[in-house]
Amino acid sequence: MNRTVLISGFLVTAALVGALFAGLGRDPRNIDSPLIGKSAPSFALKTVGSHEVLDVTDFRGTPVVVNFWATWCRPCWEEQPLLTAGASALKGRVQFVGVVFQDDETKIQDFLNQRGSAYPTLIDEGGKTAIAYGVGGVPETFFLDKTGRIVAKYSGALTPELLEKYVAEVTGK
Amino acid sequence: MIRRMLVLLLLFVAVTLAAQQQVSVPDAEQLVGAPGGKPLEGAALAERTQRVAAEIRCPVCQGLSVADSPSEMAVNMKAQVRALSARGYTQTQIEKYFERSYGQFVLLRPKFEGVNSLVWIFPFAALALGVLIVFVTMRRLQAAPKNLKEVQQ
Repeated sequence: MNRTVLISGFLVTAALVGALFAGLGRDPRNIDSPLIGKSAPSFALKTVGSHEVLDVTDFRGTPVVVNFWATWCRPCWEEQPLLTAGASALKGRVQFVGVVFQDDETKIQDFLNQRGSAYPTLIDEGGKTAIAYGVGGVPETFFLDKTGRIVAKYSGALTPELLEKYVAEVTGK
Repeated sequence: MIRRMLVLLLLFVAVTLAAQQQVSVPDAEQLVGAPGGKPLEGAALAERTQRVAAEIRCPVCQGLSVADSPSEMAVNMKAQVRALSARGYTQTQIEKYFERSYGQFVLLRPKFEGVNSLVWIFPFAALALGVLIVFVTMRRLQAAPKNLKEVQQ
């Protein structure tokens, strides 16, 4: 009996430790989304600083990078120059779109005036678009292929290597 | 002069309204179909909103429902629960709507399916195993003195 209990205990502990070690190898920011592989929720939102409304479905035929961010989010500050540089370098090949998350339009306008931007930034009143994309915190970035399908999602500030990797996934290059 | 100002004002209002009308967000009807119940209002709407919101996890909180959390995210999600309930969406449809974006993580009560079913099965299985171990041990303990007496005799 004692031997059986010892072996059973050892097997259960080994299984739990194995599962924990498997989890340690994963990137905690690379969170699975049930939307991956599905058509991205469509939205048309007002652009910051104007009354113009931008419809994301107008970009069908071009891969799109949708970045949810806010001015109160420090990692978003760090990420913004990279996205601006990426949008400039990939102009005509990949469309970048910023969607503001729980923020004030005046603050966003001031932030963009100071730092500059190479892509449109949209206001998500009531956070309905963020909810439809399953956003839990910012920054979160979704990579859509030219058909509007979500290929990848990244939670946290992107690095040049990650941006390059995900852009390659959506462009197929 | 006044006429010109009025025309400009009307034009401004028309442009503003046109811009507002064009704004569209992902609609529940595209994602989970037409409402399966009757539109609600008043006390029935408040009760349904509270009941459904209590089952939806706030994604930016530590184990709080959107009914309990004061965060802006939870407030927005609860507002959506209310809006969907008012349109006649059932609890199952509303949960499906959020689950479509966030996965089963967003449900505070995991569904009995796939790996999640272990959450329901495991406690009962552990309890049954414990009862079995106690039962077998007691049987052995009861049998032991008898054998000893037999040995002494």
